[in-house]
Amino acid sequence: MSAALVNVDDGDALEPTLQSILDQRSLRWIFVGGKGGVGKTTTSCSLAIQLAKVRRSVLLISTDPAHNLSDAFSQKFGKEARLIDGFDNLSAMEIDPNGSIQDLLAGQGEADAGMGGDMGGMGGMMQDLAFAIPGIDEAMSFAEVLKQVKSLSYETIIFDTAPTGHTLRFLQFPSVLEKALAKVSQLSNQYGPLLNGFLGSNGALPNGQNLGEMMEKLEALRATISEVNTQFKDERLTTFVCVCIPEFLSLYETERMIQELASYGIDTHSIVVNQLLFPKPGSDCEQCTARRRMQKKYLDQIEELYDEFNVVKMPLLVEEVRGKERLEKFSEMLVKPFVPPA
Amino acid sequence: MPYLLVIIFVVELVVQLINTIGATTINNLIWNAYLSLPTPLAKEVAEQRKKQKEYLAVRLELNATSSQDEFARWAKLRRQHDKLMEELEKKKSGFEASRARFDRYLTTARLISTRGAQWVLPWWYGKEPMFWLPYGWFPYYIEWFASFPRAPLGSVSIAVWQWACTGMLALVFETAVGIMGLAAASRQARKQRQKQPVPAAGAGAGTGDSKKEL
Repeated sequence: MSAALVNVDDGDALEPTLQSILDQRSLRWIFVGGKGGVGKTTTSCSLAIQLAKVRRSVLLISTDPAHNLSDAFSQKFGKEARLIDGFDNLSAMEIDPNGSIQDLLAGQGEADAGMGGDMGGMGGMMQDLAFAIPGIDEAMSFAEVLKQVKSLSYETIIFDTAPTGHTLRFLQFPSVLEKALAKVSQLSNQYGPLLNGFLGSNGALPNGQNLGEMMEKLEALRATISEVNTQFKDERLTTFVCVCIPEFLSLYETERMIQELASYGIDTHSIVVNQLLFPKPGSDCEQCTARRRMQKKYLDQIEELYDEFNVVKMPLLVEEVRGKERLEKFSEMLVKPFVPPA
Repeated sequence: MPYLLVIIFVVELVVQLINTIGATTINNLIWNAYLSLPTPLAKEVAEQRKKQKEYLAVRLELNATSSQDEFARWAKLRRQHDKLMEELEKKKSGFEASRARFDRYLTTARLISTRGAQWVLPWWYGKEPMFWLPYGWFPYYIEWFASFPRAPLGSVSIAVWQWACTGMLALVFETAVGIMGLAAASRQARKQRQKQPVPAAGAGAGTGDSKKEL
């Protein structure tokens, strides 16, 4: 099926569809990312719909604080995975990276309080630490999600990420934490006896915190996150779909993101170019033709630069892509290249 | 002990030379000489220089390329630029470390061979006469001073010989540096005089003429 779709114009170019992602059965995590407003949510929903046709079960997760999944499917989603109306193997959930870390910390505070003793300081210390390290909040929320998702046994999980920038910043996080931990443990080894003199034999800190316990917690955190990392850095398990529009800034961000992903070791081989204008021949819309020209320029650049990518071209529709039917129609174009009206 | 006299003199000469030229300059010279030897490090440094040149060329090209008009070209250059920069940065710290190590060895060797010798030799040979003064030529207090601190009376001690060498060499070096400075200054002045533009009178008249012709 895929062979038929290969673009006959230039034989060496990769097929302009996301078919390769549908065919790669080992894929477990798919990220969809790009600059704000380029159609990440639409693309991730469409991809989810297409995947649902060929996989046993698919989960769509939005990590964007400005959740759009509910809008896209006209259905309310929450922190728990919920089947999307009209599908029997496609679920969606919305998580808030900041919310989940606060939940986590709050839960921990309660747990500590439950153990008896004034543990308010522990939460405070953890919180300070948690917010001091860049990307740790996202890393923890991803870790949480991973824990949840593992028990739910979905075949493929699609992440609709927040706009570019700090989406995957946490992937450099284990090394940061490892360094920090090494320093702390070195300190506690060197000054441990001294500290114990102050703190008493069980290493309890003034607020009822415990030095050893805290180190243990940090260590556990590091282990969880490094597991996330190894999963995300495995190209058989994970891929990243870049969404962009043929405009300079979007392209610039995409290039930066692709380089960043390469430096993290995350596989990416698909670019969705969204919102392409195809004015009808003979159209006298001045803006449309001018814009079309500009888009053409950047499209040529994209094809020249990303010759090792599946570049999928999606048209700008005259209607909003919302609701199951429209999304399904739109999603068709991810696998069958859109043919502009001649 | 004639050879000791020479050794002391040479040590002081070296110290004066180092002081005049500057330890950093000498380190740099020796480092460069070391790099010109066919060692693996020298090969790496040459490679690094080549890469640096390449990096600068890429950078120039990157700056000359419009990111909006030729995005693909610009992005490719950018990738190359970033890659080269990363490689350079990675190697740079290694080179700096080896340079620091080299400097440390050199400084240690220099200190031992100059400052060390300056202190150890007079202490070791303190009691030995360098040479004897002709008997009865000098009054007692001069003989006492010449044998200071521990050499037998009537002889010149190693410390006094060292002190004399230092004084003489310092004088000679100061004079030489002064003369060289003067010579350089006069040459500079002559060059500046030569460079002074010819008064614009003739040229001004010429343009005036041409204007009139117009």
